[in-house]
Amino acid sequence: MLDAPRNAPVAEVNNLKVYFQAKRGRVHAVDGVSFEIRNGETLGLVGETGCGKSVTGRAFLRLLPVPPGILAGGNVTFRGADGESHDLLTLSDAKIRAIRGDRIAMIFQDPGKALNPTMTVGQQVSEVFLQHRSKELLERAGLASASGPIQRHARQSERIFDGLLLKLPGYRRHRQKLQSALNAMVCEALAATQVPNPAKLIDRYPHELSGGMRQRVMIAQALACNPDLLIADEPTTALDVTVEARILELISELQTARGTSVLYISHDLSLVRRICDRTAVMYAGRIVEIGPSGDIFRDPRHPYTRGLLAAIPTQAAPRGGLAAIKGSVPELIDPPEACRFAGRCPFATDACHAHDPELASVVGEHSVACFIHYPPPSGTRPSFDRETA
Amino acid sequence: MSLAADPAPATPLLRVRELTKHYPIREGIFQRVAGHVRAVDGVSFDIMRGETLGLVGESGCGKTTLGRCVAGLQSVTAGSVEFGDTGNIDTLDPVQYRAFRRNCQMVFQDSFASLNPRHLVIDLVGRPLRVYREASGDALTERVVELLEQVGMGRQHLYRYPHQFSGGQRQRISIARALALNPELIVLDEPTSALDVSVQAQILNLLSDLQRDRSLAYLFITHDLSVVRHMADRLVVMYLGRISEQGPTETVFDNPQHPYTRALMDAKPDIEADPDVPIRGLEGTVPDPARPPRGCRFHTRCPVVTPNCGWEIDDVARWLDDTGDVLAGLSGVERRSDFNGRFTFETDAEAARLEDALRSEATPPPMRAALDRLERQGASVDIVFREVGEVPLTQRGPRHEAACVLDPTLIQDRP
Amino acid sequence: MVDFPPSVRHRGATPRPLENATGVRLRRAGDLAKRLLSNPTTVFGLILIAVMLLIAIFAPWITDPNTPDPYQMPRDWGAVRMPPGTPGHILGTTNEGGDVFYGIIWGSRTSLQLSIFVVGSTVVIGTIIGSLAGIMGGWVDEVLMRIVDVFLSIPELIFALAIAAVLGPSFTNIIIALAMVIWVKYARIMRAQVIQVKQNEYVDAARVMGDSKLNIYLRDILPNAITPVTVQATLDMGNVVLIGATLSFIGLSEAGIAEWGVLVSEGQAGIASGRWWASTFPGLMIFLWALAFNLVGDGLRDALDPRTEGR
Repeated sequence: MLDAPRNAPVAEVNNLKVYFQAKRGRVHAVDGVSFEIRNGETLGLVGETGCGKSVTGRAFLRLLPVPPGILAGGNVTFRGADGESHDLLTLSDAKIRAIRGDRIAMIFQDPGKALNPTMTVGQQVSEVFLQHRSKELLERAGLASASGPIQRHARQSERIFDGLLLKLPGYRRHRQKLQSALNAMVCEALAATQVPNPAKLIDRYPHELSGGMRQRVMIAQALACNPDLLIADEPTTALDVTVEARILELISELQTARGTSVLYISHDLSLVRRICDRTAVMYAGRIVEIGPSGDIFRDPRHPYTRGLLAAIPTQAAPRGGLAAIKGSVPELIDPPEACRFAGRCPFATDACHAHDPELASVVGEHSVACFIHYPPPSGTRPSFDRETA
Repeated sequence: MSLAADPAPATPLLRVRELTKHYPIREGIFQRVAGHVRAVDGVSFDIMRGETLGLVGESGCGKTTLGRCVAGLQSVTAGSVEFGDTGNIDTLDPVQYRAFRRNCQMVFQDSFASLNPRHLVIDLVGRPLRVYREASGDALTERVVELLEQVGMGRQHLYRYPHQFSGGQRQRISIARALALNPELIVLDEPTSALDVSVQAQILNLLSDLQRDRSLAYLFITHDLSVVRHMADRLVVMYLGRISEQGPTETVFDNPQHPYTRALMDAKPDIEADPDVPIRGLEGTVPDPARPPRGCRFHTRCPVVTPNCGWEIDDVARWLDDTGDVLAGLSGVERRSDFNGRFTFETDAEAARLEDALRSEATPPPMRAALDRLERQGASVDIVFREVGEVPLTQRGPRHEAACVLDPTLIQDRP
Repeated sequence: MVDFPPSVRHRGATPRPLENATGVRLRRAGDLAKRLLSNPTTVFGLILIAVMLLIAIFAPWITDPNTPDPYQMPRDWGAVRMPPGTPGHILGTTNEGGDVFYGIIWGSRTSLQLSIFVVGSTVVIGTIIGSLAGIMGGWVDEVLMRIVDVFLSIPELIFALAIAAVLGPSFTNIIIALAMVIWVKYARIMRAQVIQVKQNEYVDAARVMGDSKLNIYLRDILPNAITPVTVQATLDMGNVVLIGATLSFIGLSEAGIAEWGVLVSEGQAGIASGRWWASTFPGLMIFLWALAFNLVGDGLRDALDPRTEGR
């Protein structure tokens, strides 16, 4: 198609496999995950502890712990606004650094740990601009044609004597200009996250701020360069509910205004349902169900998704009668060819223990990896009408 | 429960009256007390036999401190905790205290930290039995197996260390330990917050079953509304050390009488609620519990705040701090009381700017309306707000109380 | 951070449940030993220590004990300044006709005594004082820790030197001096550990079940706090001999005693004239002793690291 680049997804994960070497074998933390993030959408990646959702998210910025992790296969393709596509897993270090924080940004769960305690808020947000927006910065300061040291200062790549040179009166004036232009940019970025009085915030240290404020600073930092893709890894888990709700409102407002695509990683189904256009459910290193959020939550098709939703306490469920999923997550050390959920699934048959189901479309874009929806290569086909365990 | 008039109300299992816990803030080499963090500030409630009382609130509201005071882990600054027919647990004689200790157990949030990593399951679960010399040797082993079976574990787990279990299993071990002495009350401090939903469901089911079988009472402390709605018979909502609302769970959820309760519900709707209704959060942060706001403690963040909610001098500072550089040139604040103060500036113009700002539309209208006096004399501005006392809990329905100055009907529709 | 599923983390350690508490505890000890022995430098240290211990134990059989006091160097005035290899004096003799080989063999006993007495007493004192400070807190903690600060503010060697000088030159006084210097280190470590451990919820859990304070200390706090003390004690078993030898070298020990530091001191005068053996062999022993315990101490630290436990 001719207009392919326009509607092409901003990122595509193809058969991603990340293993970890343990004493008794390889832990298949992420085992053949494929999905795409479309332009401007919010894709939710939900699952329980250890399902591989965070590792998948980190693959986008190549923040995988390799080693001890092993990148066992697959690729992550990123298509920026410029239309160029890159495989993020094989890109050179310099190129990935240029993309990180500029085209793809990340917000972490714990802003207390993700912000540097020895730098002021202003300095930390400035970093992003110095790394990625030095040209714009120089233009705004009216120093586009300034001499070497200033140029290098604006790129954070000073040479050995630049520090001394910059102390000379002429350069000092330029540097002050640069600093005020930088402050203005930082203030704008902070103001976008609706913090009260950004000019004052610039001189504060992270520990002086509340959790919600720190998370806003991190969002300001992440969105400073208008990235094409934002990876949000449980960004509100550490926050109180009323603050969490404000932060989520904020993220979605900013996203709508800027058209950023978001990969929203969370364990909280009710949040994902509300803020994500599409949802992917992960279990034991695999995506078991993916589709538009409305479909997934109205009509979940994978026994695991159904189990998860039924396990959430509600007013209607009788006390003591929550539908808990029995058992616990299986060992992921060299797992056999079988459905990962078979051991805990109430509908599993012999076929589920012998074959590995693949994601297949059920209705339109709603895909499920379960033999309930298509016949297995051999053995009994499971059915929702027949509980086997 | 029948609607027939209640017979003479049974005596509560636990009575908490005006419980206050202040932590001193110490400074300097002589450890001078510079102030107090008012973690819990005059809280009263009852727990009846066999019921679950839910205690909800955000971090820093004092719910954990309250739980620890009830469990006897922390001495109280003022007020009382009375268990059964005995008096205040702080004044019990050793025999009575032992009886209280046996009857009130606790399960903690972090199952990893609450189990001694060097002890085997049999030692962990059997320890209370050893402490009270209830069993030893083979009898102890059998009692422990029995307890493990009650929480869905078994003999095969006796000789393992805590780190060999998953989070859910560890929490089961903690529950088995709490059950060992057959207590009447268990304080559950966020027992499922660290668990995944599917495991949380297992633990919640287990807790419900145990309660039914043994007519246990729970004090269920959590920040999660959906869990508390599922588990609790009655609800206590706390904010900054005080109760803002309490009542039967369904009544509170159907008809919240405090804007804070309402805000909590709007921020985290039920999974079954309409997904198209947007979630709504609150502006601002929880104020410093060492100097809680006057009047209603929630007034700094309340979306339906009125002039009668306790506006004070600190609010002016807080508001100006957030709105830019109006406070530039401020040379001093003389505070005559929390409601009466004088802001002095370096120049008349700067003082005039504050006066103008306070009279302008930019000031929150309820704050403007609460101003009793606003006068500028040269470079200083006198500000006096109307004085408002602590907002008491008032009756909103049968056994339903809330601490809000608003007419109940006004809370329903948030602007 | 990678979040392994709990099952991956925990199942590795339990191939099959042993239906017996002693068995499980033994296996845990076995696991520790296995981790300790998986490190070659630790094994080397352990072998060195074993050899030293054997020498110390069998000293009377290796060389005939001197009478009346076997810890005094035998003096053979007919064979002074003999080089190594001399019949009867395999490692040579000192200026005063002391047999270097005898000094080395019996010196291992002296060193062992020094290590055990100094480390043993200081661990006990330091643990008690540190625990008291950590548990009681408040003014008890203030007072005890200020005392500790005073001790720590003086360099160990100078302090030990001063004490030994005041008490007079004798081997016992060296032990006393070292003990007075070293206990503060354990008090410091223990206090910090106790403060950290007592914040664990399992301590609260024990309080909720009504266990006594002593029981809580003995069962919950002490076992979980003692690990760094164990490691430090192992390291100090070696270091103490090093400092003790220094004090002996300066002459704060009795002259003529079979002690490595004294021997080095006795032999140093001859180094300039090419009689290297009288200082070198005991010096080598001091080095090996300190090295052995340091290697094992480091290995122990790694093996006891909670991050490697249960893997």
